Amino acid sequence: MSEFVHEITQGDFDAKVTASGLPVVLDFFSTECPPCEALAPKFDAVAEQFAGKARFFKIFRQGNKDLAKRLGVTGSPTLLFFKSGKELGERMSGEEIKRSAIKAQVESLLGA
Amino acid sequence: MADRYDVIIVGAGPAGLAAAIYASRARLRTLVLDESVPGGQMKTTHKVSNYPGFPEDVKGTDLAKAFSTQAERFGTQIRRAIEITGHDLSGPMKSFELDEEETVEAPAVIVATGAKPRELGVVGESKFRGRGISYCATCDGAYFEGKEIHVIGGGNSAVEESLFLTQFAKKVTIIHQFDHFQAEPVSAAEALSNPKIEVIWDSEPRAFLGETQLDKLRIENVKTKEVRELATEGVFVFVGYVPRTDLVKGLVKMNQWGYVETGEDMSTDIPGLYVAGDIRSKQFRQITTAVADGTVAALAVQKYVKAHGKAAA
Repeated sequence: MSEFVHEITQGDFDAKVTASGLPVVLDFFSTECPPCEALAPKFDAVAEQFAGKARFFKIFRQGNKDLAKRLGVTGSPTLLFFKSGKELGERMSGEEIKRSAIKAQVESLLGA
Repeated sequence: MADRYDVIIVGAGPAGLAAAIYASRARLRTLVLDESVPGGQMKTTHKVSNYPGFPEDVKGTDLAKAFSTQAERFGTQIRRAIEITGHDLSGPMKSFELDEEETVEAPAVIVATGAKPRELGVVGESKFRGRGISYCATCDGAYFEGKEIHVIGGGNSAVEESLFLTQFAKKVTIIHQFDHFQAEPVSAAEALSNPKIEVIWDSEPRAFLGETQLDKLRIENVKTKEVRELATEGVFVFVGYVPRTDLVKGLVKMNQWGYVETGEDMSTDIPGLYVAGDIRSKQFRQITTAVADGTVAALAVQKYVKAHGKAAA
């Protein structure tokens, strides 16, 4: 994981995601999930690009089942986008997540 | 300045990696590009039982790792999680722009981008993707621990992944459009005798329903036309594949289903442009047939590159 991405647990969700002053991108990942491995370097790259403007967190699904359930996340990887405590925009899920698509969605969060 | 290779292979599935093993062993400067990690469809297959050389079942991800390690041992460079943001494959020197920031080029290219899971095109499918609908059992199976779920399809993937899902789910109901499975008899028999698996034959999904989460599935019996709604806690879709042809669309001949037509040596109408694996028009698509295509393409590329100039070492 790069220095621009931090792993959180469900206990941190309110403080780090909901209460964040900056937009947040949250990545639910699992083990034995090749699409999650594939997403990681793209996620790191976009996180570095938006350093200081948006926050990028990862959360391990198996260890944080309650939050996954509460948010209705049923697949890995799934990206959720938050601004001012609210989830905004389309979730991204599965193997086909493109770096350019994450970037575009973060840009639209910053502009929104 | 573009980085120059002898051959650039797009797609690190079995076809692309077999081609890479042969090309790099022939001392061609070989670059493999993949938007994900190596393995193609193989890497999300929970077990492979019919690949020769493995007397016991092998995990798809382990087989994928073995393929890529072998290619890298001979000098292949594999670029993972790369996005191709531009390309020109029509001329004698073919080039790719990667992540909008660098360019690579080679006289020969093998497109081995394979196929991706077909979506059903049913109402609600995109809304509930990741909110109850999944296309990867190894990735998402554990989300459905103790749940009652449905699988759409009846071919090898559908039946084998259903068996895998019984490790997690309380009950797996397979919905299949015909009155028998298309899967290999061994797996089909295993599924039919599994107490956790039930099958609804002759039926197709018509809609996925719910508020924010998927909770119902509408199906129609194609023989009786009876429509009904089933409560569900999750749906896995395995209804075949569509070729990934974005890179070569408009450049090469395709059959009516969108697969690329090639010569016996995997060549296309464009000199130096080859395709291999599931993207190609052919009758059977297996790991073994993909590997065979990749081998043939790499041998043809060796000849082509020899005739058209190798990059300086």
